[in-house]
Amino acid sequence: MQVLAVVAMTGGQLTKLAPVDILILMLYFVLVVFIGFYAKGKANTSEDFFLAGREMTAWIAGLSFVSANLGSLELMGWAGAAYQYGILATHWYWIGAIPAMLFLGIVMMPFYYISKTHSVPGYLQLRFGEGARATSAVSFAVMTILMSGVNMYAMALVMKTVLGWNISFSIWIGAATVALYVMLGGLRSAIINEVLQFVLIWAGAAMIPILGLIEAGGWTNLKAQIAVNVGSSDYTHLWTTLGNFRDNPMGVHWTGIVFGLGFVISFGYWTTDFLVVQRVLSANNLRAAKMAPVIGAAFKMAVPLIVIVPGLLALSVLKNPDGSVMHLVGEDVARATGQHSYNEVLPLMLIRYCGPGLMGLGITALVAGFMSGMAGNVSAFSTVWTYDLYGAFINKKASDSHYVAMGRWSTVIGMLVSIGSAYLVMNAAGIMDYVQALFSFFIAPLFGTVILGMLWKRATHAGGFAGLLAGTVASIGMFAWVHSSPAALRYVAMSDAAKPMAENMYRALWSWVVCVVVTVVVSMMTKPVPMEQLAGLVYGVTPIPHDGSKTIWEKPIFWAVVVIVVFFILNLLFW
Amino acid sequence: MAKRDEETAELSIWFFCGILMLAYGLVLVVTGITEIGHPPATVLAELQPTLCWGVVLTVFGAFYTIRFRPKHKWF
Repeated sequence: MQVLAVVAMTGGQLTKLAPVDILILMLYFVLVVFIGFYAKGKANTSEDFFLAGREMTAWIAGLSFVSANLGSLELMGWAGAAYQYGILATHWYWIGAIPAMLFLGIVMMPFYYISKTHSVPGYLQLRFGEGARATSAVSFAVMTILMSGVNMYAMALVMKTVLGWNISFSIWIGAATVALYVMLGGLRSAIINEVLQFVLIWAGAAMIPILGLIEAGGWTNLKAQIAVNVGSSDYTHLWTTLGNFRDNPMGVHWTGIVFGLGFVISFGYWTTDFLVVQRVLSANNLRAAKMAPVIGAAFKMAVPLIVIVPGLLALSVLKNPDGSVMHLVGEDVARATGQHSYNEVLPLMLIRYCGPGLMGLGITALVAGFMSGMAGNVSAFSTVWTYDLYGAFINKKASDSHYVAMGRWSTVIGMLVSIGSAYLVMNAAGIMDYVQALFSFFIAPLFGTVILGMLWKRATHAGGFAGLLAGTVASIGMFAWVHSSPAALRYVAMSDAAKPMAENMYRALWSWVVCVVVTVVVSMMTKPVPMEQLAGLVYGVTPIPHDGSKTIWEKPIFWAVVVIVVFFILNLLFW
Repeated sequence: MAKRDEETAELSIWFFCGILMLAYGLVLVVTGITEIGHPPATVLAELQPTLCWGVVLTVFGAFYTIRFRPKHKWF
């Protein structure tokens, strides 16, 4: 909910761009359009258009993989969450991402890669049949288009709030640019822009923590100032406050963080959401496909520096004109009183430290992040539509060039539908909450289905489909129950002290459990799938080919161990 | 897979990153120099962050631009 709350930012225009800032923004637009035309010459076949020719190195696939989840909605939303809840927000970047990314690289990627599937719904079709593929593909296609529209509207609203730009101007310029470069170059174009965006985000945002820590007098002084300003030291501890729902600002318990977020939500998102998995499928060999998520995880661990630290710094350094500590407030209060909201943390810190030039770089990084979010969604939509809906159910025997043309057209049409959904969201802001909730309905059960499919030979077609359906229905049921009767949260989260943040975690956990139980029960009651049909799809009947690594330095497992050790050290440091 | 045009050289993704950062670095260096006598009204402007960051991006961008420059005819 934090992420989408960004789009509810209100208030007057915060700043304006100098000519040098506009020059920096224009340079970015010129380059991305050039990249679109450049990549067009390399997008002749469907493999080129939808999977970037499977030519990406581990570094490029890895940065693109992590960048696909580093959009501006996430940056601004989690910076606001860090101000609101303190360092606990870091869990979404560490335990809520790193173990799952490593699991994808080391355990799951070989199955995705050697099955030569083009998509996650494509894997479901190979393992569980057309029913599971259709369910997954339809839900994914609808969600990506809606999310692309939400990104579009969010960018327009942030530009209006920060710079005073017209909303329709931002929507159409952003959409036209993204549609142009994805339509021309397909996934290759989207990946190039995602890597560019990753570098840009660091270039545009790194000055905030650097200057902020200088102003605060270092990390130790920052912690002391936060403790004084908020009257509690709970904001700078990752784990010590999670023993009870009442002890931390987020109202969560460590079981929810570890099992709900760290296991189900995180593994569901990072291992089955096709938007991110598609980036890794573009890798040029099995070793690169295994290394890409490991590289992505290493960079992911550093992201809190530019997201969480600015939110914490704001608790210490933001002051009113009279020198008193500035208190940011929730959206409703901000709307009523004209104060700044939590979600304006990042723009406020940008304005605090960045003059002309640096401001342009920061704004360009935000625009790049929003456009990359749209491009990621629309390129994944185009692939799933063409392969798993159009190619699977409407026109099965078309030529390769026909599918490429369909990919280009579906990009344009997908973007037009996204524009429509952006205007829909503009006129009914409450829809945004439901869009994000819809995503969460499918992710946790989908993870249950995919992981059982990969690791358990006995899982049958009927079991997989029934489990996916039951888990999804359970998730929707719990969501409707809590939203119609908020007191029900105490049953879903198993505590009357649980706050809304806990709901997502426990709902995901229970829906995953339902999916797994139903899949197991139905599978045991139905006829097993013949072993010869499972080759290349399931652990135990699939000889995993050697990934080609010769020395220990080339082995993905070695680097995965290094990353997980650093992950534990970081958690202990900020315990 | 369709045959590639042998005359078309690959432009590395890192080259794109390099030229963009180089361009931004140079813009920031020029802006930073003009700010030496007239610092903007931002916190810690006396540390010349625009100039310093411009130098960092210029060095980073120049390295990647040169290291990954196209070695064949472009089009």
